[in-house]
Amino acid sequence: MKIHIVKRDTCPFWKKCCYYAGAVLLALLLGAALLASMGVDPIAYYTRMFTMGTVGNKIAYKVWINYLKELVPLALTSVALSLAFKMKFWNIGGEGQFILGAIGAAFVAVKAGPILPGWLTLTLMCVAAMVVAGLYGLFVAALKVRFGTNETLMTLMLNYVALYVLIFLGEDKGAWNFFLDPDSLRPVFASFSDIISFPSIPMGDKFSLNICVVLTVLIGVLVYVYLKHTKHGYEIAVVGDSAGSAKYAGMKVNTIVLRTVFLSAALIGLAAAFKVGTAGILSTAITDDVGWTGIIVAWLSQLNTAVIFVVSALICVLHYGSTVAAATFSQVDSSFANMLQGVILFLVLAADFYTRFRVVIVKKGGKDNG
Amino acid sequence: MDKLGVITSFIHNIVVYNIPLLYGTVGEIVVEKSGSLNLGVEGIMAVGAIFGYICGCYANSLMVGILMAFLTAALCGLLFAVLTVSLQANQNITGLTITTFGLGVYFFVGNGLKSSGWPIMGNYDNIKAGFADLPIPGLSSVPVLGQGLFSHNVLVYLGIAIALFMWWYLNRTTPGLKLRAVGEDPAAADSVGINVKFMKYLHICLGCGIMGIGGYYMGLNMSGSFNSSCWINGYGWIAVALVIFANWSPATAILGTFVFGFFNTLRVSASSLAAAFPGGLGWLGSIPTQVYQALPFVITAVVLVVSSVRKKRGSGAPAALGLNYFREER
Repeated sequence: MKIHIVKRDTCPFWKKCCYYAGAVLLALLLGAALLASMGVDPIAYYTRMFTMGTVGNKIAYKVWINYLKELVPLALTSVALSLAFKMKFWNIGGEGQFILGAIGAAFVAVKAGPILPGWLTLTLMCVAAMVVAGLYGLFVAALKVRFGTNETLMTLMLNYVALYVLIFLGEDKGAWNFFLDPDSLRPVFASFSDIISFPSIPMGDKFSLNICVVLTVLIGVLVYVYLKHTKHGYEIAVVGDSAGSAKYAGMKVNTIVLRTVFLSAALIGLAAAFKVGTAGILSTAITDDVGWTGIIVAWLSQLNTAVIFVVSALICVLHYGSTVAAATFSQVDSSFANMLQGVILFLVLAADFYTRFRVVIVKKGGKDNG
Repeated sequence: MDKLGVITSFIHNIVVYNIPLLYGTVGEIVVEKSGSLNLGVEGIMAVGAIFGYICGCYANSLMVGILMAFLTAALCGLLFAVLTVSLQANQNITGLTITTFGLGVYFFVGNGLKSSGWPIMGNYDNIKAGFADLPIPGLSSVPVLGQGLFSHNVLVYLGIAIALFMWWYLNRTTPGLKLRAVGEDPAAADSVGINVKFMKYLHICLGCGIMGIGGYYMGLNMSGSFNSSCWINGYGWIAVALVIFANWSPATAILGTFVFGFFNTLRVSASSLAAAFPGGLGWLGSIPTQVYQALPFVITAVVLVVSSVRKKRGSGAPAALGLNYFREER
């Protein structure tokens, strides 16, 4: 008996869904087994986690507001990353681009906030964040098209350069450092939430929807249309599949790469502006690891913009829910979410194999149909 | 403190604090030479660290700790190998997920144990004694350098030995040659009868195991005190950077470790150096510590750009790095 692996031409949509759903289910079961072995009731834990403690909670609307605050940067970052990934440009510099965007937005907020009208400051914050983050990404893309520099490792290094710039701004007590709170003896970032913050649209009697959520969904739709129905989007797909064919077809590959990476990084900057503009303060942990998690989300969603929103919503439930559940189940640390997220992706990657390949068992002496 | 003493302890610290980088780098070189770009170093080191430390303490034996760190990290490597070699998953994504997963495991186990009795390193005599400095007779009595370079714990010597051995293995033995062939051109290696899958599996696990020992070292070096920041604290990422700096040679990695370590240690020692030599080195203390922290990454970025400008000439990067090998597609 021999085993052959054969590439599939197509895989029906329902079959794909079954494989992925099976992978997620299996991951949850493994998590449940771990919980049970620790003496925790898995059903009670998962219920608490997936409802994020909203059931029977009088201030459930607060949970939703906080949940959306976490979701917006993650969803937008994932959407942004998918643009570059579609082109097979491995932008893993989401963290760094996010940080620089956040610094840019905070700069505008501190400097222009007290002088200019609110709407103008907010717009400028977004523009500044997009330009700064976009240029940071463009720098790597330029090196890549000019010299063939490895973008994976380059963006990785720049993540840390950006992080230490941020830490420097957060710890240097020099008189020039307007990012810090002048009234505090210990260096802490100054809060500008009373100067400027993104407005919310009141809905119902208590819940209010932050404008960033609306904008993020809008951008998601625009990116979807951009990728599926415009010339640019088509060019991205061709370059991703084969840069050689793109060149042969007369496309300006370098321009496409530079343009797309700038756009990708700029949108990550915008996500940072949303985050900073909502939080009203910088922090050395401002990214909340969205640059990393965003990569996983984009990949789990197979770079499909619509699916990204679903997956990032679920991943956010995982993270937010596990902190909520940790309050009830003290023996289960909130890092359970990271582990579970890892196992889910491992199994989805494995399931992915079966959507792309078929395993054919050939009996000894039988006809080889591979 | 006397001036020579400051220099001695500076040199001593360069070695003591940065050897984990050498483990991480050498491990990653072994993995990358098989053609796999593993971005999970940070997570793998964390897994090795936590299990090595806990098992080592419970068994009250440094040997058990090293072994468990190696084995658990090698298991992470096996996971990586199954997904990328057999199941053709994307290497970048798999590596990053292993980092997320590994850090999750680290905190899950650590925080879980913290509430029910964290093993305190000071209570385990064999671990403490095993990790104590072992001066090399003769060499360690050389003035200034002796105490700085030749009086270290056993894991420092082991790290150097592994690096030298791996250099020899990769460049002077038949399996090493075969491994490099797999990393350069798996299809060609396959056609001359090298078992590509086996070579990849073996060396991914071996390399990851070596990283795990580095993680264990970090735990021991922090005396096993567990708090909100991870023991590995970005060293895994620096190791990924160091591989490029070392041009994929385990022997150069030793040099690279000390160059990076020099800047890394300046952060801690800048003030004492500035105090000891106010004339010549007084300016050291006025540089923000974040500059020292960012320097390794800046240097690596520069090395990356320079080596790409000079194209492939003399680069030790395996040609098939980051590409999966699917036999049927040759």
